Amino acid sequence: MHELSLAQGLIDQLLALADKHQAEKITKVTVIVGPFSGIVTDSFSFGFDALKQEQNPTKESVLVLETPPPEYTCLQCGNCFTSPAGQVQKPRPFSSTLPCPDCGGAHCTAKGGDELILKQLEME
Amino acid sequence: MCDVCGCQLTGTSNKRLVEVNQSLLEANDRQGDANRTHIERMGAVAINLISSPGAGKTTLLEHTIDALGSELRIGVVEGDIETERDADRIRAKGVAAVQLTTGGACHLDAPLVHKGLHALEDQANSKQETAEGKKYDLIFIENVGNLVCPATFYLGEHKRVILVSVPEGSDKPAKYPTTFRGADLFVITKTDLLDYFDFSLDEADKEAGRIQPELEIMHLSATTGDGFSAWIDWLKKLVA
Repeated sequence: MHELSLAQGLIDQLLALADKHQAEKITKVTVIVGPFSGIVTDSFSFGFDALKQEQNPTKESVLVLETPPPEYTCLQCGNCFTSPAGQVQKPRPFSSTLPCPDCGGAHCTAKGGDELILKQLEME
Repeated sequence: MCDVCGCQLTGTSNKRLVEVNQSLLEANDRQGDANRTHIERMGAVAINLISSPGAGKTTLLEHTIDALGSELRIGVVEGDIETERDADRIRAKGVAAVQLTTGGACHLDAPLVHKGLHALEDQANSKQETAEGKKYDLIFIENVGNLVCPATFYLGEHKRVILVSVPEGSDKPAKYPTTFRGADLFVITKTDLLDYFDFSLDEADKEAGRIQPELEIMHLSATTGDGFSAWIDWLKKLVA
């Protein structure tokens, strides 16, 4: 349950940015949550919505989470491919059980995807 | 735009988009980099030890101190939710130890470790300081017992070591992939219990290797000493 401390960190970042840009309020917050960042998006949103009430600039902020699909590297041929959104295997996202589309190899390991990035803000 | 009739004359609409593109962990990672500089200034290499509660982190450290304490200057930063118990166990071995209590948080973060490193530096006695001001060779940061949350927070460590003990089961790499992904070394502990538990070393090794192909893997029992020398050699190589 470290989502709450990350949400608190995001709120702190938002307050600093609102101050820097002399904005009264932040209306929309877009965050990229990588598929392997270890973040439970529902808990993160829940934490954010609870914490945003405590200060005026974030009271009306709507949190939008973008979740890009995972990328895999085939351990046999080195080919990289993106798992189509519908085919992400939830229980074992780190080693794709989809065969490599290039060589058919069965051992594909996930690459990158641990990012957690504040992408864009809409402010007034 | 005007709230009453929708005209553009009031000119008060101040809506704007700002591209930020900043990591949510930036503040933590920046402090982590500063910690690393601090660790290196003290002359040391640091290891972040991560496992679930009871996997044997402190026991492994006690035996490591027995084996290396006379030739290396070791310091330990202990992370726990409550109590000084782990730090007391380490101090009983004659090694400097700082206890960080998170008061509830499930992981250590870089700002907390920053405090721990300063306290550890203060504990170093003048005998162990070299002419260049180097005080330690090896610093262990024992994270809060948790196989999930500590993986997200970089503390400034040089190497990240994951422990799984035999009673926990060989499915742990498959079930906690995020943690294994960022690791440098995977140590399976309490191998003296293999006869009593349904633990497959082969399954654990294979799953971990599939998640992180470059992961180094060791099997050991700190109490019987089986496989323990590989760990000691790994540490010596790291410090050399």
